[in-house]
Amino acid sequence: MSKTRKSAKTAKKAPRRKQTRRAGAARSSRSALATALNPRKPVQDRITAIATAPLAICDDDRTLQSMLDVLRKRDEPIDVRLAALASIQAASFSVVAFQSCRSDYIAALRAVMDDPDPELRQRVLGILSREKDGAAQKRLLEGLEKPAKALVPPEKALQLLGYDPHASVYKVARRIVENPPNEEARLEALRLLAADTSTRPVFEKILGDKAEAPEYRRIAASALHAMAPDTLQKLAREIVMDPSDSDEIRATSLTAIAQFGGSSTVAADDALLTSVDGLTGASSPDLQEAANRLRAKYGRE
Amino acid sequence: MVVELQINNSPDPKARYVSWAPSACRIRVTNPQGATTPTVSLRLRSVTVTGGGRVGFRAGATGAFASTLTVQVPINGTSVPFFVAGQFGFPSRDDGDVRIEAAQGNTVVGSVTLMVRVRKNANTLTPGERDRLVAALAQLNNQGMGRFADFRDMHTAVSSAQAHGAKGFLPWHRAYLLDLERELQNIDSSVSLPYWRFDQPAPNIFTTAFLGVSNANGTVSFSATNPLQFWVTDGVQGINRRPFFNTGSAPGGLRTEAQTIALGSAYPAFRTLEGNPHGSAHTSFGGSISSVPTAARDPLFFLLHCNVDRLWAKWQRQNGRFNPAVAASYDSAPAPIGHNLADSMWPWNGITGGPRPPTAPGGAMAASACVSAPGGQPVVRQALDYQGAINAASRLGFDYDDVAFA
Repeated sequence: MSKTRKSAKTAKKAPRRKQTRRAGAARSSRSALATALNPRKPVQDRITAIATAPLAICDDDRTLQSMLDVLRKRDEPIDVRLAALASIQAASFSVVAFQSCRSDYIAALRAVMDDPDPELRQRVLGILSREKDGAAQKRLLEGLEKPAKALVPPEKALQLLGYDPHASVYKVARRIVENPPNEEARLEALRLLAADTSTRPVFEKILGDKAEAPEYRRIAASALHAMAPDTLQKLAREIVMDPSDSDEIRATSLTAIAQFGGSSTVAADDALLTSVDGLTGASSPDLQEAANRLRAKYGRE
Repeated sequence: MVVELQINNSPDPKARYVSWAPSACRIRVTNPQGATTPTVSLRLRSVTVTGGGRVGFRAGATGAFASTLTVQVPINGTSVPFFVAGQFGFPSRDDGDVRIEAAQGNTVVGSVTLMVRVRKNANTLTPGERDRLVAALAQLNNQGMGRFADFRDMHTAVSSAQAHGAKGFLPWHRAYLLDLERELQNIDSSVSLPYWRFDQPAPNIFTTAFLGVSNANGTVSFSATNPLQFWVTDGVQGINRRPFFNTGSAPGGLRTEAQTIALGSAYPAFRTLEGNPHGSAHTSFGGSISSVPTAARDPLFFLLHCNVDRLWAKWQRQNGRFNPAVAASYDSAPAPIGHNLADSMWPWNGITGGPRPPTAPGGAMAASACVSAPGGQPVVRQALDYQGAINAASRLGFDYDDVAFA
């Protein structure tokens, strides 16, 4: 066969090969969807099939609606429902293609907000909270005010409300700081309140209180760094130079000074630097490391 | 006699960074004392510490690189060009761990230290590399009001259509990562953005010394010496991230690297990686990183996308897809504005309203001391020839540790 005839024949084959590949991909997608939706198939097979679906969900409305049905159906195995949720969520990253599906997606999420399965509830409320969904926020806040109506634990509710903090949330968070249902909830309330500058005195008090657990004091340090960095630097300095204070908090304070302290101010602070020189033999590895970093930064090695 | 060596044709110490792609350099005599001829023969060689970077030399724009190069340099101060490139497989670990020396006979008459700076697997960073990265990230975040706030604001629900769901997904994120990386390098020049290789176990990333350990509630904790403990975004302290997998292993259900590269040799097929593994990597967690409006609040987001970009780079290398003029390198089908080859990319173009979002945070793309591309307002096509494989002037100044230059 001549070269010319051969290349013409090859050129004709190229579009046909492309069509064949497309048709093959479509068949594979339909087969995966059929497996995903078939309640008689083993759960793991269905989960695997769902994982292949992400962009295919947006190809036609039927595929998306089928996945949303799986998500909504309480008699479906929970692992399959969670896989359907993950798949739709992954598809949502293809925002332009997903735009036509979005309102159905949000509606389906709202419909399963109070599902019997706690993991599904938590994931759905997480997605809705990150979308600043008012319906989800209302339910989360209600659960904090009336624990019998809570859909998720208080620490999770506070964390999710932190995606869109506002006045009513701050009020509840302050109450929980004073009277926490558990330690985790108090921590999350403090994290959320780092966005409320009126809470500054609370954080100053917590950071300065050696009786407070280190995890609370570290959040206080971080919150003060955000709302009053000069105050943090001042308090951090006092903490570093106080040998009776917690090694963990002294290490956190040293990190704050090394990372964010004004170079000329720290370089001129002989008392601080001399104090830090004495920490190279500290028993706490973190304190030692933090001291060494500050010393290295300011040429004290 | 004294000679001056300039890396990337610049006296700026911030320009002393090379990758696998060739860097244009030059040498000139600054003090001809002792010279007896109009030109001097100088031998260029490199000296490196154990485990440090290695470089090669060549005289012109083409040809093989060698471990030494002899150049004839006029004593009147005229510069002589040459090229340097990192030796593939031998990146630097520390700034300045490679030194280039110019010797006349046995006498070193000039030298310059530099770094072979490439993007690495985050799971294999040295403690020093890791600590420099987190320190730079924490500085960029700085109370939630540092320059990081702009990067967070670039990736929201409102702006999402500029970057997702169409063919510009990969170029936009390449530009986004580059801008962030350059801002990190403005803080610490030795830093490069590492990648989270999400199809492999990466236990060293999810530690209190690096990107944190999640508790049952999905709150991430750090060691007392990790400055990321001060991370703030949108006014709220901390990072929410709940892995749906054991962080000692890789997440399940993600396409492997090989499967991703095999999606197709033409761009329209390849870019379906946006769903899996990209979208699936995002949703292998609960928390901020799992939703488009909040994903950029978590610094892990940038390592995730660095891997997505690395997969594109690897695909480009395997299929020779650097030239926008080659149809298979991109997708010519009509797409929304911001996704076509000739389109400028938001937010760097500063355009707001109409088909673009209402605001444009961050301003122009950060500049680099090493390269001039892509300029302050990049267009989509500039993202393709990132190594300068087609046009050396197109080089964007980054490389991946496992993706060679031509």
